[in-house]
Amino acid sequence: MNDTPMTAAPQADRSIILVVEDEPLLRMFATDMVEDAGFQVVEAANATEAVTILEARTDIRIVFTDIDMPHGIDGMRLAACIRDRWPPIDIIIVSGKPFPPQAQLPERAVFYPKPYRQSEIIAAMVKMGAVQPDEG
Amino acid sequence: MTQQADRERADALAAFDILDTDAERAFDDIVYIAAQTCDVPIALVSVLDRQRQWFKARVGLGVSETPIEQSVCKLEIDEPGLLQIPDLTKDARTAENPLVTGPRAFRFYAGAPLVTRSGIVIGRLCVIDTKPRPSGLARAQRDLLEALARQVSDQLELRRIARSSGMMIALKEALAEVVEVVRRSSSIAAMTRGAAEVVGRVLNVERAGFGLVDEATETIDVEPDWTAPGTASIAGRHRFQDYGDIRDELAGGEPLVIDDVETDPRTSSNVAPMRNVGIRALVNMPVREHGETVAVFIVNAAGPRRWAPEELAFLRNVADRIEAGVSRLRLREQQETINGEINHRLKNMLSMVQAIATQTLRGVADREPIETFEQRLVALSSAHDILMQKSWIEADLKTVAEATFKPFGFSDRLVLDGPHVALGARAALSTALLFHELMTNACKYGALSGPAGQVLLAWTVVPEGDKECVIVSWQEEGGPRVVQPTRKGFGSRLIRMGLVGTGGVGLRNEEPGLQAEMRASLAHLAKA
Repeated sequence: MNDTPMTAAPQADRSIILVVEDEPLLRMFATDMVEDAGFQVVEAANATEAVTILEARTDIRIVFTDIDMPHGIDGMRLAACIRDRWPPIDIIIVSGKPFPPQAQLPERAVFYPKPYRQSEIIAAMVKMGAVQPDEG
Repeated sequence: MTQQADRERADALAAFDILDTDAERAFDDIVYIAAQTCDVPIALVSVLDRQRQWFKARVGLGVSETPIEQSVCKLEIDEPGLLQIPDLTKDARTAENPLVTGPRAFRFYAGAPLVTRSGIVIGRLCVIDTKPRPSGLARAQRDLLEALARQVSDQLELRRIARSSGMMIALKEALAEVVEVVRRSSSIAAMTRGAAEVVGRVLNVERAGFGLVDEATETIDVEPDWTAPGTASIAGRHRFQDYGDIRDELAGGEPLVIDDVETDPRTSSNVAPMRNVGIRALVNMPVREHGETVAVFIVNAAGPRRWAPEELAFLRNVADRIEAGVSRLRLREQQETINGEINHRLKNMLSMVQAIATQTLRGVADREPIETFEQRLVALSSAHDILMQKSWIEADLKTVAEATFKPFGFSDRLVLDGPHVALGARAALSTALLFHELMTNACKYGALSGPAGQVLLAWTVVPEGDKECVIVSWQEEGGPRVVQPTRKGFGSRLIRMGLVGTGGVGLRNEEPGLQAEMRASLAHLAKA
């Protein structure tokens, strides 16, 4: 894990945050949070949609995903899939369940329990190097 | 008839566990006395195995056994009483016996039966002369020979009882150990494997394990088992019918007891499946519930073996204990799943509340109240996480404090000190909110707002009348000069509500910093 080279500095064309959440109200909340912090945002209601979006565009910098989504694959498998297929993307995972004890986070992924403090999530996104074009 | 008697004899003999054992003084003395009394060169304690007669004690003879066909003791064995043959060369039953015609040249024989308590003859105490004795033994000699034979039987019984009580003690200790394993195991696999190991060692077998049986008693799922070194595990699913005609007993609730799979009619027609997993003898002890077999405890031996009634009773006990333990763990697992689901829904509900509040207050310019609200919500949520671990029954005070303070950081400037104190569900939630407000206050205005201040959160349990009282003290020091708060906000009101929401809070806002003392009865905290 420590042997991997540092990721390259974020590029301007990879500054968008993808929010994956099946519950519409929570998706709206997360989207507003990310937008209010000055990031650009794209929404997906489940993992399948998220993968379709990721396949279609190259400007996603961070994926912010819930774990428990009733349809299709869950957030943990989505995270593993992203790490496998889109290595540069950073991942933030949230869940109302405690973090599964046997599960392992993919590299460059962090976990927060729900409900989360918005300031912590935004701080994590900034630390991951997301660009805030509105402010920059 | 004779065959039936032979089988009974073999069973009785096996129960004594005497065959091929070392010489023992008690039996040696008896044959010596017999030889002296009857004035003969040879005296033997002969027991009748299926294919041979074996001598537990002997004087005047160099071999420890002969084929059963050469046994004189075997003659008339089912007739009660002393057998005497004055001249073996003149008796049709023995005239051609190699022991008579050969170099040993037996001529005179007298043997008294060895009778077990249940009346089965298992052999004879006999005296043999190399000269015929036409008048046989004298009356007194006959009486003495019979008396000595009774002594042999008694010695065998005593020996059996001593051995059995030794076994009973070992099995009793092992059962206590199994009970302990079952009690302290927190997973089914650890329980079955741990208990199987105790059983495997005490019975000195090659494999022991436990499995749950499906409703139709057709398959068994063997949990992780214990095996002696070099023996493979059989954990996993098996079909009874693959191993012979062994299902019916188990389905009917009877233990399946096989001394030797090679000769037992239920398995002898196809021994390979048993042989492949190293089984020569076995016990499958069923556990019953509502008239159905729900589980089986398995013991396998690599060699043929007679299972003692004490061992079977022990295994029945073990099987019942493990089944009860497994059921208990299953219930707990189900309860944990339900608790997890309730907690998950609760957390989602709190998230929704957060989302609705944030959306509702979107137009409000001052973001601080919204952030404060969010922090309180998160504090409440983390207190629920701790409660969930103990099924919403209780939470440890220190654990609640640590979880509440974690998001703030400052672990190097905050000291927690106190014994384990159990908080009930309501007390845990109100204490979490209270600690959260104290911490928020310290970060904004108090000891943690500057670069060097510190906070000590200490609690003790002290007697108060006939009860015990918990005193929690929050002590700040090294912060900026203390300023008296101008208005009573929600936060300070939360603080004044105390540990269980009924007050008991003393606040002193003076040098070197805020000092709060909160009291509540130990019993009240645990029940609230």
